Amino acid sequence: MCGCCVVLVLFCLGLLSAGNQKPQLGDAQLATNNPTLTTVSLEKPFCMFDSSLYPNRSYTIYLYVMKESASAMSSLVTDDSNKPLGSTFQQTSRGQLRPYNAAFFDVPDCAVPPRLADVRSFVHASYVLKQYLFRVGDDGTCLYDPNFLGVCNPPLAPDTTYRFKYVLVDNSEGMVKDQTLWSDPIKTRRAKLPMKIDTCVLVFLLLTGFLASVFFAIILKIIIKSIGFSDTK
Amino acid sequence: MAKTENGVRIFQGLLILGNVVIGMCGIALTAECIYFVSDPHGLYPLLEATENDDIYAAAWIGIFVGFALLALSILGIVGVIKSNRTLLLVYIILMLITFAFEMASCITAATHRDFLTPNLFLKQMLEKYQKPEAGNNNDKWMSEGVTKTWDKLMLQNQCCGVNGPSDWQEYTSAFRTTYSDADFPWPHNCCVLDSQGHPINLDGCKLGVHGFFKSNGCYAAISGPMNRQAWGVAWFGFAILCWTVSSSSCSPAS
Repeated sequence: MCGCCVVLVLFCLGLLSAGNQKPQLGDAQLATNNPTLTTVSLEKPFCMFDSSLYPNRSYTIYLYVMKESASAMSSLVTDDSNKPLGSTFQQTSRGQLRPYNAAFFDVPDCAVPPRLADVRSFVHASYVLKQYLFRVGDDGTCLYDPNFLGVCNPPLAPDTTYRFKYVLVDNSEGMVKDQTLWSDPIKTRRAKLPMKIDTCVLVFLLLTGFLASVFFAIILKIIIKSIGFSDTK
Repeated sequence: MAKTENGVRIFQGLLILGNVVIGMCGIALTAECIYFVSDPHGLYPLLEATENDDIYAAAWIGIFVGFALLALSILGIVGVIKSNRTLLLVYIILMLITFAFEMASCITAATHRDFLTPNLFLKQMLEKYQKPEAGNNNDKWMSEGVTKTWDKLMLQNQCCGVNGPSDWQEYTSAFRTTYSDADFPWPHNCCVLDSQGHPINLDGCKLGVHGFFKSNGCYAAISGPMNRQAWGVAWFGFAILCWTVSSSSCSPAS
């Protein structure tokens, strides 16, 4: 049922242009572990760019990630000629200085959105999740590969606020046709140290020691009395 | 004369009956403690890693106390039948010693039950589960024990973490140093597994989609058996002690 609501919301949003819309976190009822320490799963931009799409042209959606930081030099994702910036994770100091391009993918089909109820089915779950969500921070291998020069989507930093933006790019011209607003600030989780966990122990030892000694005293008295009894007899 | 004779006979009969009950309780205590020591739920490595497995020591003491109570009850019966004071005095002194041991065992079991809080097992799990090469052999042994026990717990009881899978996200852990959060937000044993032991849907498990991961905590599966063990040893022991005290305090009067 919640899947139908999401689809309805997406359809309504599709009637507006992308310039008023923001990337959203995946439905919390569906993806309960979101955001995690180093990843954020966003809904793909269903129907957000429909007013800017022309038939018979191919488009790609670029995802930009930026740390919400006072030291950010710029939040622009295009250059002077309206082409998308190809800044990578490493070049922008992990999104600290400028937004970096984390991924690009095909425009999601607005006419046939994924049916979230299908997630219950083990067969369709992977397909539905891939169609519906994009996981930022999913791939750490590009950081360790010295030959890797392309677009990188490595794990995010824990306990840090990020903002995201989708940009629609025309493949033939290579120009930006539309872009969403920057998303609301989304913070990754913070992990506490296990040493801080309080393992409180109720210490009854003193009390039990006292009780035990009282018990012993009583028993000893009984013995002494019985020995005294037998002596007097 | 006959009246007092009859009275003494009845009293002796009652004492013998008391000793028979103590003997049977001793056998029952031994049996109960052997059951606990055999660790049917496989939770001993968790206790061992807390470096405070006194509940097991209490159970071991219970085994020997049970045997001692059986032997002493036979001695008591013989002493009452022969009406031998020396024998009865020996009986009382030995009973006292046995009493002291059983008292220690009961108190240990009762107090250590309070030691076994969820936070204790949480801290232990985070610090020792899948810990990479540890310092000394003892540390390594305990980490391996904790890892094996937790893997078995999560598989058999369809649970994850102490309070839930969120334990792995809320705290840093030895597991986190080896396995990245992107690939393993929680151990793969927390995912619903197929018959071959692979997650049925890894993406669903990582995202926390209901039906693909285990959302219950394992604390109930740990504390249940341990509490039953602690209460069993402690309260059964106390019950026997009460009976013993009442029987023993009657004996000198005969």
